[in-house]
Amino acid sequence: MTAQEVRLCGLLLREHFGEVVEKVGTHLLKCGAQNLRTIIHETGLSVDLVKKSLCVLVQHGASTFSSGRKGPGSPTEYHASCDRILRILRYPRYIYTAKTLYGDTGELIIEELLQRGHTTMSSTVKTVADRLTQNMAEGLTMDYSEVSSTFSKLVETHFLQRCPPLPRVGNKDSSAPSETPAIPGTPAAPVNTAPPTPESFPECYKVPSVTLIGRGKRQLASEDGEEQRSAKRTHGDEGIYWQVNFERFHLHFRDQTIISAVANKLDQTSSEIVRTMLRMSEVTTSPMATCTKPLSANEIFRSLPPSYNILRPILDQYLTLLVDDPMEFVGKAGESGGGMFVVNLHRALANLARATLESVVQERFGSRSARIFRLLLRKRHLEQKQVEDFAMIPAKEAKDMLYTLLSQNLVQLQEIPKTPDYAPSRTFYLYTVNQLPTARMLLQSCYKTVANLVERRLFETKESKRLLEKSQRIEAILASLQVSGAEPEQLTEVEEMITAPEKQQLDTLRLHINKLDSAENQVDETIFLLESYINSTNASS
Amino acid sequence: MAEVKVKKETNLSDPVEVENRIKELCHQFPQGITDQVIQNDMPHLEPQQRAMAINKLLSLGQLDLLRNSAGLLYRLKDSQSTSKMKGSDNQEKLVYQIIEDAGNKGIWSRDIRFKSNLPLTEINKILKNLESKKLIKAVKSVAASKKKVYMLYNLQPDRSVTGGAWYSDQDFESEFVEVLNQQCFKFLQSKAEAARDNKQSPMVQRNSSFATSHEVWKYICELGISKVDLSMDDIETILNTLIYDGKVEMTVIAAKEGTVGSVDGQMKLYRGVNTIIQPTGLVKTPCGLCPVFDDCHEGGEISPSNCIYMSEWLDF
Repeated sequence: MTAQEVRLCGLLLREHFGEVVEKVGTHLLKCGAQNLRTIIHETGLSVDLVKKSLCVLVQHGASTFSSGRKGPGSPTEYHASCDRILRILRYPRYIYTAKTLYGDTGELIIEELLQRGHTTMSSTVKTVADRLTQNMAEGLTMDYSEVSSTFSKLVETHFLQRCPPLPRVGNKDSSAPSETPAIPGTPAAPVNTAPPTPESFPECYKVPSVTLIGRGKRQLASEDGEEQRSAKRTHGDEGIYWQVNFERFHLHFRDQTIISAVANKLDQTSSEIVRTMLRMSEVTTSPMATCTKPLSANEIFRSLPPSYNILRPILDQYLTLLVDDPMEFVGKAGESGGGMFVVNLHRALANLARATLESVVQERFGSRSARIFRLLLRKRHLEQKQVEDFAMIPAKEAKDMLYTLLSQNLVQLQEIPKTPDYAPSRTFYLYTVNQLPTARMLLQSCYKTVANLVERRLFETKESKRLLEKSQRIEAILASLQVSGAEPEQLTEVEEMITAPEKQQLDTLRLHINKLDSAENQVDETIFLLESYINSTNASS
Repeated sequence: MAEVKVKKETNLSDPVEVENRIKELCHQFPQGITDQVIQNDMPHLEPQQRAMAINKLLSLGQLDLLRNSAGLLYRLKDSQSTSKMKGSDNQEKLVYQIIEDAGNKGIWSRDIRFKSNLPLTEINKILKNLESKKLIKAVKSVAASKKKVYMLYNLQPDRSVTGGAWYSDQDFESEFVEVLNQQCFKFLQSKAEAARDNKQSPMVQRNSSFATSHEVWKYICELGISKVDLSMDDIETILNTLIYDGKVEMTVIAAKEGTVGSVDGQMKLYRGVNTIIQPTGLVKTPCGLCPVFDDCHEGGEISPSNCIYMSEWLDF
């Protein structure tokens, strides 16, 4: 947990959950696992507030609790996970993906689950049906079964998963996870150091048989009594809580990036072939694998989408081209079945990360510095004279660029002495680029950038707080007047309470906030690429 | 009346005769004669007389003294060069010889000093003298701009000194390189586009988008933008810079010996390519390109709240 990450987590927590939760969360991040007493003491908040903040954090999976260090008898310790909090940045991307794959229903389901952290299926289905019904035309309502079927589809493709049931630890059971006693004899046994992953439970992706019959309801005042009665009905899935499976979304994003990279480098048909291969390997490949399972050309031919009716020999040619490409997205793993092909995931991620680094150098320092950077990536270690010769840049300028890159730490210097005393005149100085440490460094810059953007957004909002409040009041007045049926003159009179320059100010503010928001999402894409590359390298080494 | 050839008995005690005899021997053996050969020819010549004759010829500058593993060699000096050195004294001749030996790489004045053991002032005087007589010239080395190497007047300086085709008068011609760079890239790009529009089978498409280094070389020569003759190696260095720009990729294939452009049974093929990603998200924000990124923190002089780059970017 670096300082930048902690700062960003603090800002995200403040925006989504408020300052109290931010205080508790950042304290846990900085100081590691602590028990309740220590947290209360060090943050100076009241017991109630701390308990509630911890509830919020656990509900969203940002914090886990486990038995204390000194053994089963000591008070439970709470541990905040930085990664999980940073995922908050990616929520818009998850929701958008769900929308493209499963339509509005899917989008709302994911949105509900992201907002609530852990919920049961029945409550999600009901809320989503109500929301959809509100947006539909008069007289139409959304059936629960439709929403349930979308929910089941999401579970089948592993985008949603059950929350792992936690072993009973004393009597302190703060909200969320289910009550089903999972592992027998757990309280007596020593606690595992790592919390069990959701996937280690066999029923992780099993949709419970839920009796959900009904339709979405519009929000009408007269419905109150009926709603209260229906809320008391149980649906047979108490205690089974669901959460969003972020890893699956990440795999999906990774596949998307690889496919678009192939489309950029080669052509549309090749990218379709790679998409088919990735789709076939979705469930058979583990998340940390370096390449997918081998697929035979026959299988690929059969699984191609019907709109792409290309002939078998042409497919073979495309596969050969993909294998020969220097980027090595696809590799050949054997000859049986017409040729066995794999998608090299780790290598593709490494290439994408390298392209990201190169693009950063290019935008920051110019295309000639980018040339030097790419040259060093290819040739590993070079002397200054060799850099000048290969890159065909005049000596003075090349020296200048190399020193700038060195000062920004994008390029490193390796000394090779000729004599035991490292006399500068008798030492070789070689320039080199190490991809992994540079990627880590850039990742930290990304975190800092996002934190800067969030802070700027908060600042801009704070500056125009008075104006925003005024506009909100006027909107409220307008709405109430419209409902109670006022004349047009009254409406215009109220509207004129906002002067024209103020309106313009509001518009520019809106523009700024949108720009900052979209910039955050764009930087998050870079964060995703670099994080995937770093995780994949750590897993494969 | 038949002419009777009378063999004139050489009067061996006459020094001039001895010298002439030696010169004749040198003519016979152009690569040089040893002492042994002279002794065999004139066995009754005394060593003293022989030495005197040889010394006389040497001082007259008609004989060259060389040394090889077997001993000393005497060679007839080129008459033309003998005329050149008239009026020069021994030291100049020595310096001239050293410079001549250096060939077309030239030699630095300090090295001349080491080889001739003459003091620096003498060397400088001699060099100036020789230069004014147009026997040697100074060429500035491209590696170290202050260093001057000396070589014979009529020799072409070696590539390592002048830097080859990319340097004109010790200046790296970056515009020339840039122009060549762009021309090569345009050629490869248009070839790739033509191949893509062809819409044949993908293998044919890819193969036709390749261009060998020989083709590119021919194209550049025909374009005529270069005043200097460029070799295929020069073109390959330019194409390598395009690879480092990420615009071109290269493969090597085995080619039959004798096909045009193949070197050692291999041919290099080049192809224009696109980048695999768009410019990454980080550089679309001002922070990604900010020169004072490391100094920026909340509450400081430079902070996100009062960042001028951000204000400009937001108002864009």
